[in-house]
Amino acid sequence: MKEGFRQSMAWLHTWSGLLVGWLLFLVFSAGTAAYFRDEITLWMKPELHAAAHASVPQTAALGHAQALLAQRAANANRWFITMPSEREPAVRASWMPAKKKDGAESKPRGRRRFESAELDPVTGAELSAPRATRGGDFFYRLHFDLHYMSPLWARWMVGIAAMFMLVAILSGIVTHKRIFKDFFTFRPAKGQRSWLDAHNVTAVLALPYHLMITFTGIVTLMFLYMPWGVQALYPSQDKFFTDLNNALPADAKPARQPAPLAPLAPMLAQASAAWEGAPVGRVTVNFPGDANATVLISRQSGRAIGYDQPTMLFNGVSGRPLSSSGAPGAATETRSVLYGLHIARFSNPLLRGLFFLSGLAGCAMVATGLLLWAVKERQKHAKALARGERHVGLRLVDGLNIGAIAGVPIAMAAFFWANRLLPATMPERPDAEIRWFFIAWGVAALIALARPSRRMWQLLLAVGGVLFALLPVLNAMTGGAHLGTAVAEGLWPVAGFDLVTLALGIALLFAARRLQRPAAVRKAPVTQVTAEAA
Amino acid sequence: MSTWQATMAALTALAAAVAGFAALSLAVDRHWEALHGRGSDPGPLRRRLQGGGSAGLLVSLLACIALKGSAQGWVAWAGMLTAGAFVVVLMSTYAPAKVPPLAKAMAGVALVAGLLAAL
Repeated sequence: MKEGFRQSMAWLHTWSGLLVGWLLFLVFSAGTAAYFRDEITLWMKPELHAAAHASVPQTAALGHAQALLAQRAANANRWFITMPSEREPAVRASWMPAKKKDGAESKPRGRRRFESAELDPVTGAELSAPRATRGGDFFYRLHFDLHYMSPLWARWMVGIAAMFMLVAILSGIVTHKRIFKDFFTFRPAKGQRSWLDAHNVTAVLALPYHLMITFTGIVTLMFLYMPWGVQALYPSQDKFFTDLNNALPADAKPARQPAPLAPLAPMLAQASAAWEGAPVGRVTVNFPGDANATVLISRQSGRAIGYDQPTMLFNGVSGRPLSSSGAPGAATETRSVLYGLHIARFSNPLLRGLFFLSGLAGCAMVATGLLLWAVKERQKHAKALARGERHVGLRLVDGLNIGAIAGVPIAMAAFFWANRLLPATMPERPDAEIRWFFIAWGVAALIALARPSRRMWQLLLAVGGVLFALLPVLNAMTGGAHLGTAVAEGLWPVAGFDLVTLALGIALLFAARRLQRPAAVRKAPVTQVTAEAA
Repeated sequence: MSTWQATMAALTALAAAVAGFAALSLAVDRHWEALHGRGSDPGPLRRRLQGGGSAGLLVSLLACIALKGSAQGWVAWAGMLTAGAFVVVLMSTYAPAKVPPLAKAMAGVALVAGLLAAL
């Protein structure tokens, strides 16, 4: 009975993993990159690499932003000010332009274009408008909204894949007979044995992370997957989210009587004092210049694991506090912590690095799992294959494996190259960069499917490796802060990007080189796969 | 906690995790045999390796909690364990003879860094 149970779990593990493996590899890769979303965005805006990094009191930075907004966006309905942080040195002031005169909105709510400006926090000077790019946000969105399709469909697909993943992890634990005996075991150059070892090691050593990230990933979208509780209590999801996020009601209205906006800096100081001196993350001004103006201030992330940050609401005319977010209920707090664990915005650089490492282990786990299926299947049909018979399923899986595992790094690198090679002022630039991502990936996947061979692995891994390894050079040659100056000036987000991409590129090249060796092994061992995970 | 102290606490956490896992790996037959020949057995040393290894992981946890508090400390610990275990796996695979000296050196680093962080 026990053996029967384990065998049925092995079957479940194999098929739940294989069916969604390629999608999971994309989700894991993009999600892992998204830990460094802000750093990637900064790298992709070389115009900002020279921004001052001297720290300045938040009140001063906010004063600059208010002055710019009052001049530039006096008629806007809302202002959003993102305060500088360790990860984003500039102050960002954005606003939603006022409605057209006739009151008709050109696009549905939430879809209207924001306009924004970035300021030097010290001098208040507007930074030369950086090139338009989605930056790291592209990877963040890609990992649950995919692209070129309705986000709703994408979220259902990713959610189902995540559920399969959870099943694969749990059934994998049951299937793995020697978790403790093989805890540290990796036997390279032994064919299928090595692949299984690599799969086990990357899965077991980061198991707490894999379980956490898969489960919390489903939790982040729980109101989509299980809306019934909310539907029973709230007339609309909007109203529910207003409550949940302690935001202003979406139907708040201006008084249509002009009244000057009070200085924002004293409100910021008051809020920060209430949070024991914690810095402020975001300031939202509703109806600036109107008698009904309100100011919502929220704490900067980085203090607690929870995703929801405490907020304080002020009267925008008198500057007096109106309310502050109370202690959340147990359910809200639980969701907030699970959500916060998933996106890890609380992390300092050390923790973020550990999350990134575990994410790479996750990519490697998915990749080795996919390869293992192909290796086993090839062995099962070794004789028939040697006679020259074709195995359509195996050929397809081989092609998809190469297209996904070697193709995704190429696509990511192409996205970064496009960022620097396309003209800085070209129209629709962000879409063009994204098109490069998918064109590069599409080409790689098509030739991989056409000729899924060992040479193809080698070729595509080498292409990805070269593209990644040369990114620091590209950065230096196209106006970014190159490694020398970035390290000297302590511009670690940019230097870190260059160093990590260089390391990933070298690892991919190393993998391609290992494939040359005419050993009994068909494909590359663990270090390479970790690299492919990039 | 100053930046210096935080760096030392992080170093303690990582070094103790590596030392702990290295000791635990030597208590596994396969890895002991890789060093001392087929059929050899750590004997009573096994218990001490396991005890010392577990103590290393515990020290790592304490350092993480001192560094990041009782909530984020556990998250940091999980990450440190993953990083430490990968180091031990790579060493046991490609330089098995270096695992015992690694364990001792990392235990020393953890001790010194821990003292420096506590000062």
